[in-house]
Amino acid sequence: MGDAVVGVVANPLSGRDIRRLVTQASVFPTAEKANMIQRMLTAFGAVGVHRVLLSTDLGGISAAVFRAIGRRRGADPRWPEVEFLDGQPIRQTAQDTLDAVRRMVTAGARVIVCLGGDGTARVAASAAGDVPLLALSTGTNNVFPAVREATVAGLAAGLIATGAVPADGVTDRAKLLEVRVGGRVETALVDVATSTERHVGARAVWDPATVTELFCAFAEPDAIGLSAIAGQVRPVARHDPHGVILRLAPDAARQVLAPIAPGLVVPVGVRSIERLEAGPVYHVDARAGVIAVDGERELAFGPGERPAVRLRADGPRCVDVAAVLAASARLGLLERVRH
Amino acid sequence: MTDTVERKSLTREDLLDVYRTMRTIREFEERVHAEFATGDIPGFVHLYAGEEASAAGVCSNLDDRDTIASTHRGHGHCIARGVDVAEMMAEIYGRKTGSCHGKGGSMHIADLSKGMLGANGIVGGGPPLICGTALAAKIKGTGGVSVAFFGDGGSNQGTTLESMNLASVWNLPAIFVAENNGYAETTSSTWSVASDNIADRAAGFGMPGVIVDGFDFFAAHEAAREAIARAREGGGPTLIEMKFTRYFGHFEGDQQTYRADEVARARAEFDCLKRFADRVTETGELSRADLDAVDAEVATLIDAAVADAKAAPLPTEADLLTDVYVRY
Repeated sequence: MGDAVVGVVANPLSGRDIRRLVTQASVFPTAEKANMIQRMLTAFGAVGVHRVLLSTDLGGISAAVFRAIGRRRGADPRWPEVEFLDGQPIRQTAQDTLDAVRRMVTAGARVIVCLGGDGTARVAASAAGDVPLLALSTGTNNVFPAVREATVAGLAAGLIATGAVPADGVTDRAKLLEVRVGGRVETALVDVATSTERHVGARAVWDPATVTELFCAFAEPDAIGLSAIAGQVRPVARHDPHGVILRLAPDAARQVLAPIAPGLVVPVGVRSIERLEAGPVYHVDARAGVIAVDGERELAFGPGERPAVRLRADGPRCVDVAAVLAASARLGLLERVRH
Repeated sequence: MTDTVERKSLTREDLLDVYRTMRTIREFEERVHAEFATGDIPGFVHLYAGEEASAAGVCSNLDDRDTIASTHRGHGHCIARGVDVAEMMAEIYGRKTGSCHGKGGSMHIADLSKGMLGANGIVGGGPPLICGTALAAKIKGTGGVSVAFFGDGGSNQGTTLESMNLASVWNLPAIFVAENNGYAETTSSTWSVASDNIADRAAGFGMPGVIVDGFDFFAAHEAAREAIARAREGGGPTLIEMKFTRYFGHFEGDQQTYRADEVARARAEFDCLKRFADRVTETGELSRADLDAVDAEVATLIDAAVADAKAAPLPTEADLLTDVYVRY
């Protein structure tokens, strides 16, 4: 058995939260997630990946891939061997993604593809260590994961896994936001927000009036989600060493119209803008509320627990799909001479 | 997003009411479980324990204009809608003092005065009913909404699918709450629901569909709040899928050979009452003493309901011919 191994983790619950109800966010069906994995398997097979480690779930994604493998005929394009990471309890929580990614890292995956939204990418990144991560969008707010054809992403991941394209030249280290509340730690890849809501509840944040502070690792002018607010008033690139902090108030003089969730373009009052340096700890002003990471409420806090936010430079290693395929073109990796 | 319906945050009194509702359901079901084992209760009972956050989360957003339709697992919906607990217990015991004079039993508890259209022995029987009440509310302009609860088994019934289609076509103020507890009787929903997520079917009917952690009252309440506000404003139907585990078998007496340790894990890790209690005490909204007082009050209520039910008379032969026809 060869060691060109790719891990694929897919979140069955991504793209299902309350934003479908409050903002007409897109629906990403299970069948399409399973189709994406099958298209990737074809791409992996084409470039010589030996083995794929696939997460298992109760949402029907791994089951659909399993059935597809059983239905394949001899004439179909070659797929690598697929190992289903079963045998552990499935909790239907983020823990499943964590467990799967950890097993992939231990089993020697050379690249991990993650299907989900910002929330899924955040969880996968926290467990991927130094293994390059390729996040594909099947979620709601998709600032971090790319909206990209799975076949092409599969080629890129496969070329890294086989070593045909060395990972060093085609991966970038992303920034990371770390937030601590007492003994609890969460990470975010895009933004950390304080909300005046009291409970985690349905998780998503869609009412800008509840957001008082916003810490962004990067803020692109064409983003969707809370970072889009900063993206319009103080853009920060993914490769910039710093981030940006916004303090928000509905009645602030400076109002910016921002797409804070799919289907939701609202005015947001910006009270102040500050540069967020990498390294130092920033305490939030709010005395009680909920911390949202990458647009999802995660940590409730009360008086006496002042959450601390820190921008770190040592986030996940992210695969630059365009750079991998450009390298492939330079090296002629997908060219064959017909005999 | 629309802002014409005010979204109020839950007050201390609201939270106490919610806890009382969930605790009453739990205590009621645990007690029926114990009493059924003695052989005193006639017929079948299907218990709702474990699913309390769904009934409480949805019904805490409803008012007098609204109606709900329930399932064979209906005790929780009845309690959350305010049906009298003593009358419910008497009904389950088949006594004349019951909600339906002892002639319906567990699966037919109904109280139209509370907007409770009835528990329902027909799987998938509730959704068509709420299309009717939702249409009435729409025509009369009452602002009322109607909610159908159904299970993962009910989600596969033609009646449910037709109702969702009709609700969308007529743009009805109807909410479809799929309570996915993992098993239709003994058949796993991961096998029997072809779309895997029930919520995914919403797209086919042109309505939003969302998945909610059914063990989390606040998540259930928020999703229902938004769906109900949308329906009241004329935005049309919504499908909400609650995912959780039922604590008891399909019916009392079910040997449950089809499932392993998930109940013990759900009780230990996800229990909705425990999570609710932890949350509201951490935020300081309620104290442990507040919750203990509710527990004691509920225990007394259920004790009295059982004692009264056992002491109440059975229906007589003459009662067979009452309530057969209804004059409109």
